[in-house]
Amino acid sequence: MVQTKPPPLETRISQLLADPENQDTALHQTLGELWEAHQELVRRLERIARISDAYQSLAKQKEQSLAERVNKQLRQLEKVARISDRYQQMMRDLNLALQEASTHDALTGLPNRRLLVERLKEESERFRRYARPFSVAMIDIDHFKLINDHFGHEIGDNVLVEVARVLDAEIREHDLCGRWGGEEFLVLLPETDQGTASQVLERLRQAVERLTVRVNTASVSVTISVGLAEHLAGNSYSDTINRADGALLAAKRSGRNRASSAVTEDAL
Amino acid sequence: MTDITIAGTQSTPDIRTEWSTGRLFMQGDSYPENSYELFNQIFEWIERFLADGGRPLSLELNLLYLNTSSIKAMMDIFDLLEAAHQEHKPVAVNWYYDQRNERVAELAEEFKEDCSFPFEIIPSPQA
Repeated sequence: MVQTKPPPLETRISQLLADPENQDTALHQTLGELWEAHQELVRRLERIARISDAYQSLAKQKEQSLAERVNKQLRQLEKVARISDRYQQMMRDLNLALQEASTHDALTGLPNRRLLVERLKEESERFRRYARPFSVAMIDIDHFKLINDHFGHEIGDNVLVEVARVLDAEIREHDLCGRWGGEEFLVLLPETDQGTASQVLERLRQAVERLTVRVNTASVSVTISVGLAEHLAGNSYSDTINRADGALLAAKRSGRNRASSAVTEDAL
Repeated sequence: MTDITIAGTQSTPDIRTEWSTGRLFMQGDSYPENSYELFNQIFEWIERFLADGGRPLSLELNLLYLNTSSIKAMMDIFDLLEAAHQEHKPVAVNWYYDQRNERVAELAEEFKEDCSFPFEIIPSPQA
């Protein structure tokens, strides 16, 4: 910014003004004033340049810090999004686990009563609208109380788990077997009349009969009694369950380890 | 100096400060409707504490679910601690999690990533 080497013209004018020989010439006064005005202009120009430079570097600094801040915000945003996604994934998985827990029995892993009722409602609705048949079987493990009393609850639980496993393995693909409560299971057989259902349930009964549950060195065998009912027009799903319950009672009374079907005319 | 005590709700954590011991406790879920309002007072408390001499400050956290704005607020708090740490002020975070939920620990690790001050992620056996 500071001019170190004056150009030759300026040197010459300085020398002319300084020369005593020129002191009294007519032009000396005027040239002196012009020289002063010129010097003032140079100073002013330098000052403008200095201020302008300062503004420029200020703007540049501002731009840099702005860029830094934007970059920092961007990094933070990416991180927030990443962490937030993971929290959401965690909540989703928790939701699924909760749903599983609310619709399945913790001991046997079978659908619980809540899920069974939901499906029963759906099936009776399908019956009402499209007249699609379905049957319901109520299953009870024979003399289960004796097993609990004799071997203890832990073995009793094992028996429940094993029976549940066999039932679930023996039903057809579209049937649904769940734990109704205690040692009672319910099988829902969609698109199935009483005759066909009776064959399926007979197979279940035989499969459970073949089952033995190991208890240390001994083994426990169990049998089931089955009450079967086909859903009838004009009935609610709980009517059908009641008829299956009635048939179950009949199976128990006539000696257990057997399946009995509700009389279809009963409810008519 | 005044301490903050905010009882937790279903959507906000239990928050408690101890000016005398230099500790701040947060426990529970955080998905408040107005997270700015909630976290701003915590932020201000920490700023006041850090400005008041060089006593050690530690955050005792037992946080489970955080919504997006709470995550942002926690990151701002950790940035504040990081700046204090750069000025050689003694700050620390202890993040406790239920051992049965390892994913909370993984998330705490994410928060820890940019922090150079002591940041412990501690399994706790309690339910």
